[in-house]
Amino acid sequence: MRRPLIGMTAYAQQVQYNSNDLVAGMLPMTYVRAVHAVGGRAVLITPDDPGTDVLDSLDGIVFCGGNDIDPAYWGAERHPETEVDKERDESEIMLMRAALEADLPLLGVCRGMQVMAVVGGGSLHQHLPDVIGHERHRAAAGTDPLAADASAYGRHDLITEPGSIARDLLGSHTVVNSFHHQAVDDPGSFTATGWCPDDRVIEIIEDPSYAYALGVQWHPERTRDLRVFAALVEAAAKRSGLKPAFAA
Amino acid sequence: MRPIIGITTYVEPATWGVWRDLPTTLVPHDYTEAVTQAGGRPVLIPPHDDTDVLDVLDGLVLTGGPDLTPELYGAEPGPLTVTHPDRDRAEMLLVRRALDRDVPLLGICRGMQLLVAAAGGSLHQHLPDVLGHEKHRPAPGVYGEHDASFVPGSRIAGLMGDDLAIRCFHHQGVADAGKLTVTGRAEDGLAEAVEDPDRRFVLGVQWHPEVVRDERLFGALIEAARQ
Repeated sequence: MRRPLIGMTAYAQQVQYNSNDLVAGMLPMTYVRAVHAVGGRAVLITPDDPGTDVLDSLDGIVFCGGNDIDPAYWGAERHPETEVDKERDESEIMLMRAALEADLPLLGVCRGMQVMAVVGGGSLHQHLPDVIGHERHRAAAGTDPLAADASAYGRHDLITEPGSIARDLLGSHTVVNSFHHQAVDDPGSFTATGWCPDDRVIEIIEDPSYAYALGVQWHPERTRDLRVFAALVEAAAKRSGLKPAFAA
Repeated sequence: MRPIIGITTYVEPATWGVWRDLPTTLVPHDYTEAVTQAGGRPVLIPPHDDTDVLDVLDGLVLTGGPDLTPELYGAEPGPLTVTHPDRDRAEMLLVRRALDRDVPLLGICRGMQLLVAAAGGSLHQHLPDVLGHEKHRPAPGVYGEHDASFVPGSRIAGLMGDDLAIRCFHHQGVADAGKLTVTGRAEDGLAEAVEDPDRRFVLGVQWHPEVVRDERLFGALIEAARQ
């Protein structure tokens, strides 16, 4: 039996590798490995191709991290710190609407969670330090939030709402990494079910009326705690009559 | 619904935005754009032992990249051979399964060499040692431009028509095409196109049609993928 096929929204932008400097479709391997580790099969969906027909071939989808969403989508002016990715905005908002319409199991990670909130009619804080007065949700640029020497930044507690999917998956309390400068202000049609207890920044949104629609503000793919990915692949398998293939 | 075309990917340390040398799966945009323009829906296929992904693919593009591990064609690595064994392993599994299932395949550069290795053929590991010139890879980032000649009546001859110009960038090449038929050659005699006439669509080209979004080749793949 085949593995559940999980689409991953990817970047298409200028990148340097080896001696090359060119536009590539790409995604950090951490996302790919996370899906493979919980029994799914990852394929990348690049934003350069308008259309949602690809969703018919998928069993689930991950909306991955990246740059900021254009605040015009929720009717706000652009903050000076906001750096948008127009091509990904257009593609992912279209894919998110179609995935929700089809009730395709979906996980939003960081920017992906923010895409959920915006498509749900909500809004974002464009620069979190302006709102909460500290930078602890963002590690220094380019550093791994989980690196040993970055322990003072980009790690915080997380609490979950009783009775939520988040509580089922993660328990009442856990610790997460953090690498973002924007955050969900109003989750729109979704419900906030996880927070950073120190500053009440929303860390999880969900809608239990779907097969699986969960957004997380942190980066589980960069950790060994892949429970939110495992739940996605399980929901994808269930929807398509498959079983996750657990790697040895 | 458009045919879904899988595109194999590299895994490399990559640098963009705030990130430095982050392990990344990627493929040059030219490939996705060429598939899109020819009417397919590209998805990128990171290397993995799973080949069941072929259940949902209507066609497959095997992309360029580093040299194949010479063990795949029974040779020892030469001094200038640079390999990524994990990618080789995953792509060889994928190619063999795709051939078994007669999934339409377009192999480009390294992808053509992969088709040759899967067909029991072998490669020259450094062409300048064999040919005595660098015309297939003139300089870093510079494509070698040639006119190829194609075997009349072959698939590639029909697709290319009167425009025989090709753009190459490779330092390895086909020594023995195995069970495949060589249907195109450069002026120096090197194999530039291989086909398997017994399958629905198996075409390998040593040059880079994606750079010019060559709809003759990508369109033919997608047409085969529709069937």
